[in-house]
Amino acid sequence: MAGFRSPVGAIIEPVAPSQVRARRRLPRYAAGYIFVAPVILYLLATAVYPILNVIGMSLRDVAAGHWYFVGLAHYRQVLQDAVFWNAFRNTTIFTIASTIVHLLLGMIFALLLHEAWFSRGLRNLTRGALILPWVFSTAAAGLMWSLLYHPFGLLNYLAVGVFGRAQPFEFLGDARIALGSVIAVNVWKSYPFYMVAILGELQAIPADLFDAAKVDGAGGVQRFWYVTLPQLRGVLIAISTLDVILTFGHVDLINILTRGGPGRATETIAFHVYRTALLDGNLAKGSAISTIMLVVLTLFCWLYLRILARRGSESW
Amino acid sequence: MVVVTAPQRRIRYGVQQGFIVGVSVVSAALLLVPVAWMVGAGLRPIKEILSYPPTLLPKALTFQYFERILANPTYRHFFLNSAVLALATLALALVLGSLAAYGFSRYKFPGNKAVLMGILALLMLPRVTLIVPYFHLAHVVGLYDTLLGLIIVNTAFLLPTSTWLLKGYFDSLPEELEEAALVDGCIRVQAIWKIVLPLAVPGLIGVGTFVFIGSWNEYLLAVVLTETPRAQTLTVGLAQFFGQYVRDWNGIMALSTLASLPLVAVFVFLQRWVVQGLSSGAIK
Repeated sequence: MAGFRSPVGAIIEPVAPSQVRARRRLPRYAAGYIFVAPVILYLLATAVYPILNVIGMSLRDVAAGHWYFVGLAHYRQVLQDAVFWNAFRNTTIFTIASTIVHLLLGMIFALLLHEAWFSRGLRNLTRGALILPWVFSTAAAGLMWSLLYHPFGLLNYLAVGVFGRAQPFEFLGDARIALGSVIAVNVWKSYPFYMVAILGELQAIPADLFDAAKVDGAGGVQRFWYVTLPQLRGVLIAISTLDVILTFGHVDLINILTRGGPGRATETIAFHVYRTALLDGNLAKGSAISTIMLVVLTLFCWLYLRILARRGSESW
Repeated sequence: MVVVTAPQRRIRYGVQQGFIVGVSVVSAALLLVPVAWMVGAGLRPIKEILSYPPTLLPKALTFQYFERILANPTYRHFFLNSAVLALATLALALVLGSLAAYGFSRYKFPGNKAVLMGILALLMLPRVTLIVPYFHLAHVVGLYDTLLGLIIVNTAFLLPTSTWLLKGYFDSLPEELEEAALVDGCIRVQAIWKIVLPLAVPGLIGVGTFVFIGSWNEYLLAVVLTETPRAQTLTVGLAQFFGQYVRDWNGIMALSTLASLPLVAVFVFLQRWVVQGLSSGAIK
């Protein structure tokens, strides 16, 4: 039994035959707990406890180093703040636009890569090149695009020098287009993930479905509409929900490209948390916004898990 | 039925291939322009890049910007920090993750499904929701501005992913393999070490690459939990450089290129496993 007390010990210690017999009296699945215990304990300490902590902090305030209970005061303040609703609006635009374009690009490239190419090598090389943006850090991606967005950068050369626009665009400085410019970088950085996911699913579609459709006289467009798309429906719903969740919590790019500006034109709820808690130093109010995010995310997560569970039980 | 002659079929095939390959290759080339521009700006005077029109092919190549970055001990220290962070997170996430993945895959204990769902929910938790408690707790336990603190929180965010993906991988390995070894007198630990782990190597490589890239590129936690170069990583260094020396595009792009180089190398060598891992486990 000694081995069960320490998960690590149980794995490394040589086990005497008598102990093996003792262990057999436990149900077979008991050993499973030993394997999963380290991860569960780790996540309880480093993720679950901080979640409880942030909820607790959102109900308190701090003065002279002492935390005291204030109830829902921060929530009232946050929800009445126009800045929050501006961030809410930006987050909605950022998330929906990113998700749609991610899926669109991912779908188009996955379909192209799934076709038979005359050269497998060229296809694999192109696939690698199309995945590459995903490898760069958001910091590096932000810097690359800042260079392209520069008043004398490549994009403005195209706008002014080639297409004859009178003045260069201020991609990140003009409140009307700044959010769009940030979305473009986010799309560039993240579409490969969805491309690879869709590609994997395409490869799993049984070939005889296409053959049957061909025999029935279906053309390329019809095959896509009646065979490919229904087969992809499950994965498309799953990854778009996942994308909404991931984009919703995104801070890095905004912090590097615009810091929420100009004004608050690109401030999302996630960046609003960062600004309130870390830049303005209001930890309690930041906690309240974090908790609001957690509630929204829980809803999305619940939706996502339901979709996954359905995918598991039904055949699409 | 329409009769299609052989030459017609060949022409149709050619047009079709031209479209598929052409669109893909041109798109890939266009999407890599930002990368080319970054590398280019690290290698030649900036006026070649920021001008109407920019020069496509460099007139004067120089390594002076790269040399200047590499000669700076602060930046070298950022590299070291990023490497330590990424490797330590990789080790933790793979060891703990594969243990748990094996447990979830092979033992149907009460609570198995519920805990897995909990881990899946944590997988989707955005870092930003926990920056406030991390900032607070890091000060309380004395891990603020330390590399160890960053390793702990990075592992917290990558462990659910690695557990989930590896569980999918172990599920795909037939259990009969270990059963046979157990019958042959191996104890389970030996069966895992000698039979399961070697078979899981492709999965471990794929998930490991994912974790390595994730922690090397991590920015938000690093910017929240560090304040001196002692614990700061490359991503923070990059963003700071950008804030301080906005006009020094050559230096920024040289540093940014150097910071991305290890990842591109890792990706180029391990692409196959990454693609497999992402497409098989990510959404199932």
